[in-house]
Amino acid sequence: MLQPQHYMTRLVLPIVFWFGITLASRSILAENWPGWRGPQRCGVSTAKNIPTQWSATEGIAWKKELPGSGIASPIIWDDKVLVTAADGQKNDELHLICLDRKDGKELWHLRLWGTSPTRYHSTKGSMASPTPVTDGDRVYAFFSTGDVFAVDLDGHLCWHRSLATEYGSFENRFSATSSPLLYRDLVVIQCDHFGDSYVVAVDKTTGVDRWRVERPETWVSWSSPQLARVNDSGAYELVLCSSEKIDGLDPETGRQLWTLRGMQRECIPTPVLGHQLILAVSGPRGTTFAFRPGGRGDITESHVVWQTNRGAPYVPSGILVGDYYYLTTDQGIANCFAAQTGKRVWQKRLPGSYTASPIAADGKIFFTNDQGETVVVQADVPKYQELAHNPLNEPVVASSAIGSGHIYMRTLRHLLAIDGSAK
Amino acid sequence: MFHQSKIIILLGGFSWLASSSAVGQPVDELFKTLAQTGPQASGSADAQQASDTLMTHGVEILPELLAAMDTTNIVAANWYRTVYQIIVRRELSKQKPQFPVTELRACARDAQHQGRVRRLALALLDEIDPAFRNELLRHMLDDAEFRHDAVKLVLDTGNQAQMANQSELAREKYHQALRHARKSEQVTRAVDLLRSMGEEVRIIDQMGFVTRWYLLGPFDAPNTSGFDTVFPPENETNVDATYDGQNGQTLHWTLTETPDRMGQLNLIQLIAATKEAVGYAYAELDSPTEQTVQIRCGADDNLSVWVNGEKVFARQQWLNGTRLDRFTATANLKKGRNQVLVKICQGPQHVNPSVPNNWSMQLRFCDETGRGIRLTNLLPSLTKSD
Repeated sequence: MLQPQHYMTRLVLPIVFWFGITLASRSILAENWPGWRGPQRCGVSTAKNIPTQWSATEGIAWKKELPGSGIASPIIWDDKVLVTAADGQKNDELHLICLDRKDGKELWHLRLWGTSPTRYHSTKGSMASPTPVTDGDRVYAFFSTGDVFAVDLDGHLCWHRSLATEYGSFENRFSATSSPLLYRDLVVIQCDHFGDSYVVAVDKTTGVDRWRVERPETWVSWSSPQLARVNDSGAYELVLCSSEKIDGLDPETGRQLWTLRGMQRECIPTPVLGHQLILAVSGPRGTTFAFRPGGRGDITESHVVWQTNRGAPYVPSGILVGDYYYLTTDQGIANCFAAQTGKRVWQKRLPGSYTASPIAADGKIFFTNDQGETVVVQADVPKYQELAHNPLNEPVVASSAIGSGHIYMRTLRHLLAIDGSAK
Repeated sequence: MFHQSKIIILLGGFSWLASSSAVGQPVDELFKTLAQTGPQASGSADAQQASDTLMTHGVEILPELLAAMDTTNIVAANWYRTVYQIIVRRELSKQKPQFPVTELRACARDAQHQGRVRRLALALLDEIDPAFRNELLRHMLDDAEFRHDAVKLVLDTGNQAQMANQSELAREKYHQALRHARKSEQVTRAVDLLRSMGEEVRIIDQMGFVTRWYLLGPFDAPNTSGFDTVFPPENETNVDATYDGQNGQTLHWTLTETPDRMGQLNLIQLIAATKEAVGYAYAELDSPTEQTVQIRCGADDNLSVWVNGEKVFARQQWLNGTRLDRFTATANLKKGRNQVLVKICQGPQHVNPSVPNNWSMQLRFCDETGRGIRLTNLLPSLTKSD
C-alpha cells in the first residue's frame, strides 16, 4: 500500500504538469473546487482528511434543500459553496445560490429568467445541468436554456449573454450539460446540439465574444471542454470531445490544431489528463483513447498511445489517480487500467447504476450510484480494495465536489456537506 | 515620484466619478440604461452602475420595474429583475412591509403582460396577500399563462367536494376541468376521476387524436438515411399498392386503430420490431369547414407530415421519445376530405444497449389553445360500433 508521501509524488506531480492553468494562481488551492470536476477538471483533489464513512444519519455536517431540479455539481471557493437549480412551469426560472460552506446557510440567492428551455431527461437532466465555474472574483454560470451569467461572489449580476437569442435556441433532448471552462481571461462554452453547433470563448470581464467557431458537422453531445498542456512547448490545447471525433483547438484563437477520429456519434464523458496523455471515452461499444496532445492535423494514426473497447460508460467520466485509470459503466461495471499502457488491472461489479462521475482525494476514489450509495475504493493500487460502502437513501445523479475536508454531494432535492464525523 | 502620485490620485478620482455616474440620475434614465443591454453583453458595465443606484430606491418603483420587465429583451428583463429582488427582499425584512398591492394584483390579472412578469407579481402576492391566488385563478381557466394553475384549482375543488360527499358538485368540477385542461396529465386526471364516478369520457375525442390509420413498412433505411430518402408513398399514396420493403419482404398498407388512450401508435408492434427503417401512416379526415388548424405531433425517432400533398412539418432528430405535443405545425384543411400522410423514421440502436429502440408516433388536431378539434375519420371502421 502506498504511503501518503507517495501520493504527493505520484499523484500531484503529473497533475501539476498536465492541468490547464485556467485560473489565477491564488485559486490553485487544494481546498477549492472551482468548477466541473475540480481544479484540473479531472475529478481529483489534493485535499486531505476526506471522510471515508457516512450514512443518511451519520457524518452529515449539514443538509440544505434546493429548489426545483439540477444536476450541476456544487462548486467551492473559500468559505462559499455555489450551486445552480431550475424550476418554473416552463422550466425558465433559473437559480444561482450561494451558501456558507460551514453551515449551509444561504448567503444570497439570485433568480433569473432563462431564454429557451429545451427538453430534458426527467431525472437525469435539468435546465441547471452544466456546472458553473469561478475564478474567485466571479462565478460564471451556463444554463441549458442557452444563457450565460457572470455574477460576483456577493451576488451582483455583472453581465448576461443570451446565446439562444444571439445564435439560436438549443435543440437538445437531454438538456445541454457541457460545463464552461476558464482559460486565462476567457470563459469557453461548448455548444453541441441538434441545431447549429459551435464553441465560443467569451471575455470574462466584459462578456463579449473573443472568438467563436461554428461546428456545423457536429451532432449533439454532452461532453465538457478540457484543457491540456503540451509539455514540450508549454502551450495549451482546448480539447473538445464530440460526435465521432475529438478536436484540439488553440484556446487563444479557436484555431483548429488537430483532430482524432473514431469517437461514437454522441459523447458525454469529459476527458481526463495524466502521464502526458489525454484519456477520452466515447461511450459503450466505442473506443476509449489515450493519446498525446501536441499534434497537428489528423492525429488518429500518429498520437494514440493505447486504446480499448472495454468497459466504456455512456455517462460517467473516467478518473485517473496515480498510475491507474478507472472507468465505471452506467450499469456499475468498474474497470481499472494501467494509465500508461491500457492494460486492465482489475474489474469489479459495483452495486447499482451510475450517472455521477467519480471523484478522488486522500488516496480514495468515491463512486456514487443513482441510488445514493457511495462505494469508497483504495486509489492507486493494483487490486480492488473496498474501504467503505455508504448508503444515503436519496437518489444522486450529480457529481460531487471536495473541499475543506468535506464532500459536497447533491441529491435530487438536497445539497449535503459530508464530514464523516459521528454525532 | 510626486508626478506619479498626482497621476494616481487623478486616475482614482476619475474612477470614482465613473463608478458613481449613475448616482443622481433620474429613475427613467436609469431604466433606459438597463433597456439598452443586449447582445454581446452590450451595456453591461453601465447597467451595473444603474442597477446599483436603482436598488437604493424603494417599493414605489416596483410597478415601473414590472412594466419594464415586460420586454422581449430577456437580458434587460433580468437586469430589472435583479433590482426588483433586492427591493422586495429589503421591504420583506421590515416589520410592516408596505407593498403596492393594487398594482401587483393588476399586473397579475392583466393578460397583456408577459406570463413570467405576471408570475413574478403573483409570487410576491403569495407572500403578502395569500388569499389573492385562488381569487385570481377562478377567472383564469382560459388564460394562456394561468390555465394550468386554474384547472388544478378546479380539480382540487372537485376532490374536496367528493370527500364531502357532494357528488354532483364534484362531477361538475371534473367536467369543468376537462373542458379547460390542455396538459395531458390534467386531461387524464379529469377523465380518471370521472371514471371513478362511473362516467366514461374518451380522451381521444377530447384531445383530437387521430387513432385510425393505414400503416406501411418497414422500408429499409440504413443508419439515419431514412429522413432524406424519398420512398414511393411520398410520390403517390395508393392504399392498394405493394412495395419492396426491408429484407426483401413485400409491403402492404394495413388498416389499424391504436388502443392507446393517448392515441400513440407503437410501430414496433404495429409494423415491425426493426431498426434503421421508415414507415408511413395515412389517414383521410373530414372537416366540416375550411379551417386553419394546429397539428401537434411527436415521434420516435422523427416524423414528417403532409396534408393534402403539402409538407407541413419535418424535423430530423434521432433517439427522441414520442411526447405529447412535442412539435406544433399549422395546416389548412379543406371542407370535406383531407389526406394526411406521415413518415416515421426508425434509427439505429442507441450506443447504450440498455436504451430501448422504440418506434412510435402520436398526432392530433387542435385549435391554437390546444383544444381538440373533432374530425371524422373517413377510413373504414374496424369495430361494429363505428
